[in-house]
Amino acid sequence: MTTPAISVQNVSKRYGETLVLRDINLEIPRGEVTCLIGPSGSGKSTLLRCMAFLEETTSGSILIEGEPLGFIEKDGKRRAQSPSELRATRSKVGMVFQQFNLWPHMTALGNVSAALRRVRKMPRKEAEERAMAQLTKVGLEDRAGHYPSQLSGGQQQRVAIARALALDPTIMLFDEPTSALDPELTGEVLNVMRALADEGMTMVAVTHEIGFAASVGNTVCFLDQGKLLFHDTPEKVFAAPRHPRLEQFLDTYLDRGASMLK
Amino acid sequence: MNFDFAVILAKGPQIIAGLGVTILIWIVGTILAAAIGFLVATLRRYGGRLMDKLLSVPVEILRGTPFLVQIFLLYFGGPYIGIRLDPIPAGLLGLSIYGAAYYAEIFRAGYNSVPTGHAEAADCVGFTRLQTILYVQLPEMALLVLPPANNMAVILLKETALLSLITVPEMTMTVQAIGSQQYAFVEAIVVLALVYWGLVELSNFLGRIAERRLSKLSS
Amino acid sequence: MTIFVSSISILLGLGFAILLSAMRMSGNLVLINFARVFISFFRGVPLLVQLLLIFNLLPALGLSLSSLATALIGLSLCTAAYQAENLRGGFEGVPPGLIESAEMAGFSPTQTFLHIRTPIALRMTFPALVNEAILILKASSLVSVVGLIELTKMAQNLAASTYMPLPIFASAGLIYLAINLVVAAIGRRAEVALPGLPAK
Repeated sequence: MTTPAISVQNVSKRYGETLVLRDINLEIPRGEVTCLIGPSGSGKSTLLRCMAFLEETTSGSILIEGEPLGFIEKDGKRRAQSPSELRATRSKVGMVFQQFNLWPHMTALGNVSAALRRVRKMPRKEAEERAMAQLTKVGLEDRAGHYPSQLSGGQQQRVAIARALALDPTIMLFDEPTSALDPELTGEVLNVMRALADEGMTMVAVTHEIGFAASVGNTVCFLDQGKLLFHDTPEKVFAAPRHPRLEQFLDTYLDRGASMLK
Repeated sequence: MNFDFAVILAKGPQIIAGLGVTILIWIVGTILAAAIGFLVATLRRYGGRLMDKLLSVPVEILRGTPFLVQIFLLYFGGPYIGIRLDPIPAGLLGLSIYGAAYYAEIFRAGYNSVPTGHAEAADCVGFTRLQTILYVQLPEMALLVLPPANNMAVILLKETALLSLITVPEMTMTVQAIGSQQYAFVEAIVVLALVYWGLVELSNFLGRIAERRLSKLSS
Repeated sequence: MTIFVSSISILLGLGFAILLSAMRMSGNLVLINFARVFISFFRGVPLLVQLLLIFNLLPALGLSLSSLATALIGLSLCTAAYQAENLRGGFEGVPPGLIESAEMAGFSPTQTFLHIRTPIALRMTFPALVNEAILILKASSLVSVVGLIELTKMAQNLAASTYMPLPIFASAGLIYLAINLVVAAIGRRAEVALPGLPAK
């Protein structure tokens, strides 16, 4: 049996009094697309951010390809990873944010090549060639010299995907990648994600695009109030009879592509 | 290198006298500057377009030139057009006019921050223009205006040091003179710097208390 | 000389202001307090007194400096304190998501500071920088007290030799005004034209 891309073991997370994640156990298999769905406040984004160590878990652990993320276990003792150890573990993971988070002072090409140059210490020319290849892949080679403020939301998000891909991650995390977009722009981003899935990239996506989850996802996880209620193939998850909480959730998203499931 | 601060501190009474002149010019100058600035801002708002344009010229000139050049012009150039002033009145006048230009801008921003509807509402209940300004617009802008106004007051305090260059017997001039007499110039300047530092931090502190009081009052 | 001293001081001050900001965000108590005291002192003492202090104290400690060096040090340290205070707002305004994305890209904290936070903070506080440039231009009139011949000192000398202080100081004032209007106009143009402002 191969080690899963990510394994989430007994993870709980608490902000002060509120428990946002309650004892989550989940394995993300390699080469598959896992979609996290659930109402807002269900903890799905927090769980995804924990997988990138952008949030620390209160208890439990997360392993990236078998290696612990954020801490090191040695002789039965647990200690926090140093910044450079953390960077090494995290380098397998690429992250795409809801708000794109492109650096406004760099062009599209600059955004994609920055880490290649600064972190991977690649010469400028080589870094820019690789960055250009990634921009071509997301269909934005002609926008390389544009600043984020000169790009539409959909284009910005595609640049953000290219930026994450440029570092050759084995796992891609998507945190509501289309939620900040006008509806007519979501398609271009979903198409890029679909193409990425077809290439066999391991993907975890928090999404409200039920249609995308149903058609591209290998696994759909439904979170509610910090609990992972169930996870299974989309066929089984969306097949009637559905769990009442899921039914309720789908009702609120009927206008978002979920109608095809009714 | 030996530093001898005792000779400077022995001249405490003189330093305090200089400090007194500094504080006097500062406080009177700041009050005058704020009053003139408020008047200018009010005239610019209610005196018609021409008045607004006309008054913007001196404001921009005063804000665009160094204070030092302004007081040189007033003190050394003034007598040639019949303005013959002693150092202290010249310094006070210079500081007030210079500060007024900045206060005019601060109050202009204040007027702009009050929604026009509020002034219109006051007009409707029969307030005169003056009543509207005093009872509606001024209190409403106070919270916004106070921090930059305090900041400006502190800037003016520091600018008073320049008045030593037109022989106003304020603290900088007094302490420099003591330093030269006692052959302890470095020590004198160190003491001078520390006194200003303390004074500025004290006024910053008082300013913050005033801001906090006011924001409590208005919330 | 006025323009030269002012522009060099602004640039040196900017570099030093960034260093002060780094100290303030370093988490190291010694560095944080050093930056705090430095900023408080240089904002709390009149520039005239600072210049006199540097001009007299350093030679007394055995370090002789030319008038030009004294003027540059004085103006740069003073503007550094003000610029650090301006930058504080900029650094606080950098959206946290931009720092997270840098973290995910593998940037070290130093790299994030240099390549992400600083350029964005600088861009966000650009109008304050232009403002500071104008303030320093005006403040540079004070460096005559340490013996540097710049615009104001030249006007003083001319006024003394010609007995015509009125037109001479007025002209000096107009020259300052003209430079400042140009700086302000360039600043406004640049504010509109420069990319790099984070979206609201």
